[in-house]
Amino acid sequence: MDIPYTVHARPDTGLYNAKIGIWLFLASEVMLFGGLFSAYIFLRLGADYPWPVHDLDVTLGFWNTIVLIASSVTVVMAWASVKLRRYGQYKIYMAVTVICAGVFMFNKSLEYKAKFKHYAVKLTDGTILTGHMPEDDHHHTIPYQIKFGEITELSLTIPVKKSAITADPVGYVVPHIEDESPKFKTADGKEITLDDASFAELSAAAIAKAESEGKGSATVKLTAVTPLKAAAKPSEIFGYTADSITFRDGTTAKGKLIDDKMTLLVDGIDARGVAQPDKSLAFDHRYLGAWQPAFVANRDHHIAEFEEKYPTRDKDKSATLQKESLFYKIHSSTPPAADAAHGGDKHGAEAHAPAEGGHGGGHDYPTVVIDKKDITFFSNFTPKLNTYYAIYFTLTGLHGLHVVAGALVLLYFLVFNGRMLREDPEHLANRVEVGGLFWHFVDLVWIFLFPLLYLL
Amino acid sequence: MADNIEEIQKSVKKYLIIGALLILFTGITVWLSYVELPTHGLNILVGMIVATFKASLVALIFMHLNHERSVIYKVLAFTVVFAIVLFVLFYFSKMDPLIFDGFYKLSE
Repeated sequence: MDIPYTVHARPDTGLYNAKIGIWLFLASEVMLFGGLFSAYIFLRLGADYPWPVHDLDVTLGFWNTIVLIASSVTVVMAWASVKLRRYGQYKIYMAVTVICAGVFMFNKSLEYKAKFKHYAVKLTDGTILTGHMPEDDHHHTIPYQIKFGEITELSLTIPVKKSAITADPVGYVVPHIEDESPKFKTADGKEITLDDASFAELSAAAIAKAESEGKGSATVKLTAVTPLKAAAKPSEIFGYTADSITFRDGTTAKGKLIDDKMTLLVDGIDARGVAQPDKSLAFDHRYLGAWQPAFVANRDHHIAEFEEKYPTRDKDKSATLQKESLFYKIHSSTPPAADAAHGGDKHGAEAHAPAEGGHGGGHDYPTVVIDKKDITFFSNFTPKLNTYYAIYFTLTGLHGLHVVAGALVLLYFLVFNGRMLREDPEHLANRVEVGGLFWHFVDLVWIFLFPLLYLL
Repeated sequence: MADNIEEIQKSVKKYLIIGALLILFTGITVWLSYVELPTHGLNILVGMIVATFKASLVALIFMHLNHERSVIYKVLAFTVVFAIVLFVLFYFSKMDPLIFDGFYKLSE
């Protein structure tokens, strides 16, 4: 059965059916994005931290906006070309539209990837250090891990009845031990390798013994044949002290803490959340003490410049000034000389950056080793970090899905509707118009997303 | 709906002009965001006005809403009403006396 009114208008509505359909769909899409924009307003009003302004890559966002606008023009030109029966032009415009979608998504992937590799570490006084984890020779990030050594004994708790915390050393302990197949001695002197079979045997015996004694749970002690080493991310363990580490299955290992310090290549000191920014924990002698004069010089420079440019403007209420003066960006591995002049139109750290700093395309950053006790929270720039990044990833992620979906539909028209183009061009023109309407909507959403997330 | 050939031929030029205008206003939006207006809330307001203007161009010209059948406007009327409701929902949060106003107040 043919779908009615694909080419000619339905007499009562005056429109072909697909057009009514797409507009009803777009109306529901407005509600979908409207709800998320509403969430954005709530999150922004309720944010207990300075809302990021110009924190994303504005240049990349700007070019992506241009790309999307260009694709909006080409898709409407594609429609007009079919209407005018210029089939060659139609194909070119449609192809350019799909290519634009690809370019947009490629740029987006670069942006996301950079965020995943970038970290923020919140210190106990409210200072936020931003930067990267060190990398190995193959450019793989070396994750932050708690390292233990001289592990001699494992203590496993096995409840008789299944409980939320049941020892599962094969799943939660062995993966963190450096030795591939660690050997242990049981209480009765048997030497075992911890795997599913040996642990099942061990726990069955322990449960039987506990039941006969009328206990609710059994404790099994395993002694390491040779002292072991273990390393785990903080999220992979329950907790640790100087001489014991408890894994997520409740198993406790006795050993010696080797290292719980975090190494960070710092590219920014955000002291906006600190009562006395110049006395931030970041400027402790263990950390970036040498950078304090540069931080103060940068702050004073920005405040002086602001007061000169905007004499009537309250400097305490300028989001941009707060950011520029108290969120100090680092571009070199050593602090600038104290008497360095502020040159040209470059500000703060950029003006101070040594001329040879740009070699190899990348920057050098000071390496800071942070004590665990000074860290309250750390995360890469993902939804976990704060509500801004949560709504940023939700909105741009959903928008990205729309770009992909729209591009696939337009690509389908281009590749598979060649016969329709020759035999029933009015039908294809209507299809392209409907696909185009969706595509313009995707552009329209981005027109609001770009300023809200990148600029304001 | 522009259905006759001459009208579409005329529209083609219009689409290119609108495209150029949209790019121009994108540049203006970026520039305006670096200008310190009396409050940051004003920056947001101006940015949103420009964005709304750009969105209207897309909706009216590219999406042909400047000459559509009445049934589409009827559908969209509902959308507009509900969208406005969504955007003023946050006023309920103002009723909470314990609300933290944020670092930079939107209205001052």
